[in-house]
Amino acid sequence: MVSQKVKVRNVSGLHLRPASELSNICSQCNCDVSIICPKGRINPKSVLMLMGAAIKAGTEIEVQCSGGDEKNSLDKIVNAIKGGFGEKLIN
Amino acid sequence: MKKLLVSDTSSHGIAIGPVYLVREEKPLISGAAPENRSEMEAELAKYDAAVEKTVKSLTSMAAGNKIFAGHISIARDIALRDAVKQRIYGQGLNAERAADGAVKEVSRMFLNLDDTYMRERAADVTDVGKRLVACMQNRTENKFAGLKVPSVIVAESLLPSDTAALDKNLVLGFITEQGGVTSHVSIMAGNLGIPALVGAAGIMDIVSDGSVIVMDAAAGEIYVDPDRKFADDFLKRKKRVELEQQKYADEACLPTVTRDGHGVKVYANVGNLNDIEQAASLHADGVGLFRTEFLYMESSRFPTEEEQFNVYRKAVERLGGEMVIRTLDIGGDKKLSYYQFMPEANPVLGLRAIRLCLRHPEVFKTQLRAILRASHYGRLRIMLPMMVSLEEAEQSLGIISEVKRELSAVNIPYDSNIPVGMMVETPAAVICAGDFAKVMDFFSIGTNDMTQYTLAADRCNKEVGGLYSPLYPSVLRSVKRVIDEGHKAGIKVGMCGEFAADKRAAKLLLGLGLDEFSMSASCTPAIKSALRGMDFEEARGFACKVVSMEHISDIKAALEKSYGGEV
Repeated sequence: MVSQKVKVRNVSGLHLRPASELSNICSQCNCDVSIICPKGRINPKSVLMLMGAAIKAGTEIEVQCSGGDEKNSLDKIVNAIKGGFGEKLIN
Repeated sequence: MKKLLVSDTSSHGIAIGPVYLVREEKPLISGAAPENRSEMEAELAKYDAAVEKTVKSLTSMAAGNKIFAGHISIARDIALRDAVKQRIYGQGLNAERAADGAVKEVSRMFLNLDDTYMRERAADVTDVGKRLVACMQNRTENKFAGLKVPSVIVAESLLPSDTAALDKNLVLGFITEQGGVTSHVSIMAGNLGIPALVGAAGIMDIVSDGSVIVMDAAAGEIYVDPDRKFADDFLKRKKRVELEQQKYADEACLPTVTRDGHGVKVYANVGNLNDIEQAASLHADGVGLFRTEFLYMESSRFPTEEEQFNVYRKAVERLGGEMVIRTLDIGGDKKLSYYQFMPEANPVLGLRAIRLCLRHPEVFKTQLRAILRASHYGRLRIMLPMMVSLEEAEQSLGIISEVKRELSAVNIPYDSNIPVGMMVETPAAVICAGDFAKVMDFFSIGTNDMTQYTLAADRCNKEVGGLYSPLYPSVLRSVKRVIDEGHKAGIKVGMCGEFAADKRAAKLLLGLGLDEFSMSASCTPAIKSALRGMDFEEARGFACKVVSMEHISDIKAALEKSYGGEV
């Protein structure tokens, strides 16, 4: 298993559109993915679980990937979160 | 024949035709249960097929509205599928029941979240769930699928997602039980020039699918199943009104000058580029209110300077006349999917409009740069919404100067004399109008909010809806005060609320000295015609009398008498 912490910086947090994008990326990964956030552990392949976690801008989360293509998947997911899904970023 | 009266109307026109009744469907969900493993597999396959079909229909809608892209992700969601699967295999439910139960559970989860935005997403989940169940039952989710002949649409309420699929050519009129004159249906009907009556409580009880309806939107009258003669008379009236409208339209290109030579401007309120087309084709004198919210609400992030600049430039070039651009007026009941508003107990009194822009100067400056750059290509004015203090005005003007300097430094052309004015819509701005007039180049009275704030009555709340009227002496005297203070300082005063389109109030507003009337483009020809038939000096005397009246009943009676119709 590999994991990395990353801060959600896009202004709207993981609202419907960014959460949709993130869950699409996670769904394409050939490994198990979990996100540890203040509300607990969730499966980010589900947009509903992602949104239900109500992750706001400024929150630090941990992404865990295990099995299959875990290393590349982790990079891809973390970079997407860092990229802010095309939104303005907070500092 | 049954009759229903609606007291508040903001629409006009007569419609007669069959009823198309929009029922809120409460689908019956079968209780049949799968009995063995292979039947369970068939149920899950049924769910999967419904998901694919729903995704397909959503994909075609997603091109026009970004919200549906999110709905696709929800329909495809694996956690939702797991919950459905668990209900089929674990509890022995059929696919419809399993989906219905799983959707309800998820939407409950959202309803329990602290974040207002997230709580509202429960509606998205429910919407998708309805589609999935409808799909499994082979029902069409389009509420207007049965609409084949031109009809009067009657509904409890209509949402943007309902009307997206509506063929507007088949709509003779709208009647809804709920909603106010500023609701989605009212605004859409206004832009299409279709008569609409909203807040028609009880209408659903007195019509059925075969009914024929006659409606007169201006008078607020609805007749169900009229007899032959009555319907014929109404048709004649409709013809007459149409001829009148035609006459107004033919004269629309003439200047608006009263019989005694007093000139005023009649502008259009616009909310997108289609409205600009309409304003131009109906010969509005210009645009008195360009709502820029659509740029922000139809985007999935803050629109860039370039995107905004292109829209503003295109708009002012197409229009050919003067255009007043209102800076972002978001917050209150208007939210953005990509901006997290803090939960507010009272959003109408919260972080909105200019307050939000001053809180986020980078967002504000992006828009100002776009407007200033576009001002090189046509006559633009900048209008600031929701002002309550001179500090806000000065701070905004400071930011505008700063943006101007930045543009000059890199030699980008703009109109250095671009007028900057403000909406007057709060009692604070009314009381201090004289102070604001010294720093502003024009005023525009926003009667919708001014009425709501002055009377402390929510325009969408049925319980106090009767209190919401711009005809109260307090509101009329506010209007007078703003016009007088503006004129004292030598600046023009306009009005861009619904009130400006009210034919019965036109003489009063003219008499108070209003310089610019701004309204839905479809109303401009009729108001122009009405103003041309008036005498300014006489209107002044009339207005003077009306604003001194102490009771709204007297004011209504006076307007009724002068207009010769029902107020």
